[in-house]
Amino acid sequence: MASGHREAFQKQIQQDWANREYIEVITGSIKKITDFLNSFDMSCRSRLAVLNEKLTTLERRIEYLEARVTKGETLT
Amino acid sequence: MPLPKRMVEPVLVSRNTIPDGLTLPSELEAATNGTLANIIRQLSSLSRHAEDLFGELEREAHNLQDRSNSLQARIDRLAIKVTQLDSNVEEVSLQDIHMRKAFKSSVVFDQQVVSRDTMPTAMLETYQQCDKPPPLRKLNPYRDDGKDGLKFYTDPNYFFDLWRQEMLKDTERMMHDRGKKPHRPRNEGGGGRHKKRPRQPHNTRERQRQLALGQGEYLMPQNVDYRTPQRVQHPDEALLVMDPRPPRPNSIEIRRSYPDHGDGHYSPQPSIHSQQSQYGQTSQYGQPANQLYSQTQQYAQQHLQQQQQQQLAQQSQMNSTQPQPPLSPTDTSHYKSNYPGSYEDSGYYGTDAYQSPNSSIYGRSAAARANSQRPSQPPPAPPSANNSSNSTPTGTSATNTPTRGRSMSAGRDTLPPPPPPPTEVTSNGPAVLPGHLLNRTNSVSHSGSRSGSPHSTPTPTPPRQLSRDETPEPLHNDILPPPPPVPDMPPAAAPPPPPPPPPLPSALPNGQLGKAPGTTSPPLNINGDIGKSPNKQITSSPPKTSPPKMGDQVAARKVHNIGPVCDTRNDLLKAIRDGIKLRKVEKIEQKEVERVNAPLDVASILARRVAVEFSDSDSASDSEYDSDGWVEQETSA
Repeated sequence: MASGHREAFQKQIQQDWANREYIEVITGSIKKITDFLNSFDMSCRSRLAVLNEKLTTLERRIEYLEARVTKGETLT
Repeated sequence: MPLPKRMVEPVLVSRNTIPDGLTLPSELEAATNGTLANIIRQLSSLSRHAEDLFGELEREAHNLQDRSNSLQARIDRLAIKVTQLDSNVEEVSLQDIHMRKAFKSSVVFDQQVVSRDTMPTAMLETYQQCDKPPPLRKLNPYRDDGKDGLKFYTDPNYFFDLWRQEMLKDTERMMHDRGKKPHRPRNEGGGGRHKKRPRQPHNTRERQRQLALGQGEYLMPQNVDYRTPQRVQHPDEALLVMDPRPPRPNSIEIRRSYPDHGDGHYSPQPSIHSQQSQYGQTSQYGQPANQLYSQTQQYAQQHLQQQQQQQLAQQSQMNSTQPQPPLSPTDTSHYKSNYPGSYEDSGYYGTDAYQSPNSSIYGRSAAARANSQRPSQPPPAPPSANNSSNSTPTGTSATNTPTRGRSMSAGRDTLPPPPPPPTEVTSNGPAVLPGHLLNRTNSVSHSGSRSGSPHSTPTPTPPRQLSRDETPEPLHNDILPPPPPVPDMPPAAAPPPPPPPPPLPSALPNGQLGKAPGTTSPPLNINGDIGKSPNKQITSSPPKTSPPKMGDQVAARKVHNIGPVCDTRNDLLKAIRDGIKLRKVEKIEQKEVERVNAPLDVASILARRVAVEFSDSDSASDSEYDSDGWVEQETSA
């Protein structure tokens, strides 16, 4: 009896450990996903910011050029 | 402390996974299952955040793509245009160069980058979980100072308003200091605000406040301790700024519409008041409203005419009797005293209080003012008094007329009416006229002015005077001979007898005119006894009395402004006054416009300031001063 009980307990505990490992894997991958998302977000944002900056300067230049080139609307 | 933007929701997945009160076949399994469930929740939360994240990125990328597309289109257009350029063709003629539209950039600058509007949705969700501030708004109806109770608890715009106010004030001050307007410096000097003086204490106080606030103390706004001696130094300001509390950005006001904000207790306001009070003109209260202005204008014109008549009459007498100078001081003092009084009455400095009376019916406001200022009006009445006593009329007139107008008119009057002196000699009855008599005349005149005021146009008044003059005179002339008036006079109130005689001699040369004055006087007395009805006669009387000295002019006036001399004078006076007023009003309107347009955002404020700074080349001290302001601003903020 005692040995049968012990085996049952051991089994349960082993099972539990297996479950915990599984859970650990899942949570670990969740963390990885999160990390990836964060890093992806960051890199995307930085790139977008750089792009935005370039676009802004370009817009300014174009504006200047346009102002130079246009015939100049008169007030009349 | 970093503020997480997104939180994957269930943390501590394994906790409390075993339900209480239930006997479970296997607790380990239960824990595992619970944990797995929580993990699934985490995953869902994570996927939601990921969606949000990608959504944001996608939006931003899309935005950029739009911009780059439009940019590409512009570049293409530009390329085509450039190829079409021909250096041989002069596209703009020399004349057209001047007509060229100024270049206006279409670039929009980002501002208020960290305001609530730009808060990312994820953070907004977190923000929504916060407790709301207590509903102090509900108590607002029970506050009589018109401030928003919630703003004492939390005021997100506090620092921006602080900064904005300071910047605006600075720019305004700089503009004033530059001496654009000659009046400003004087007023400011009167207000005791020198360039550097007030600023230092102000900032220190603010800093102290910030410090205290930073240490977690809550300062009751009423706290007087934090007031700097500055207030004390400038009693004028203290008077003007009735608000007992330390300066708080106006954001605290319940109704926060910025354009109106100027009305509240904005520093520039007092300056206007003081200015006008100095002038002692009718256009008081710094009312920008055009209506008001027109009204006051007209009123002033009426005024002018009456005053002129009066002055003419008085002038003649003055020559003989009294020197004016002593009177002038009383004049000014009178005005000054009046103004402060009115202010005190209004108590709170907001212009709103003033607006209502002014805007309503002019008559009303006039009546209200009549007690204090109106004196200017009464002068016409006193002339009637001239008949009785010379001295009294002068006194009244002096008090009534604004100094400037009086002095000018006096000088002018002296020139034309030189002759009178001899006859006036009789004017002895003098001071005999009792105060109450004067008052009565004044009141009468007030009523007259009041009745006249409703007429918006200045023209109406002259006709009225005409009617007055015409009707009473003929009657009197017919009825009474010049001498008789003398006997009549005494009964009226006082020493009148003397005055009548003078008219006679003067009248003799003129003939009928001379008679008229004398005759008119008697009715006056009668009327005076009767009460106010005499107004017309009284007002009319002055011209008659004056005639002794200058018969022709008087006659002309009777006809109505006809006399060329009178006209010129009127015109001159009007021109002068109008000119002054016009300028003033312009200024006020400008200010109003500025205030209405008062920049609400950082960019416009800064732009304006920069413009101001650039525009003045001579203010090295200013710029350095400003830099000081910046530094302090930073520290305080």
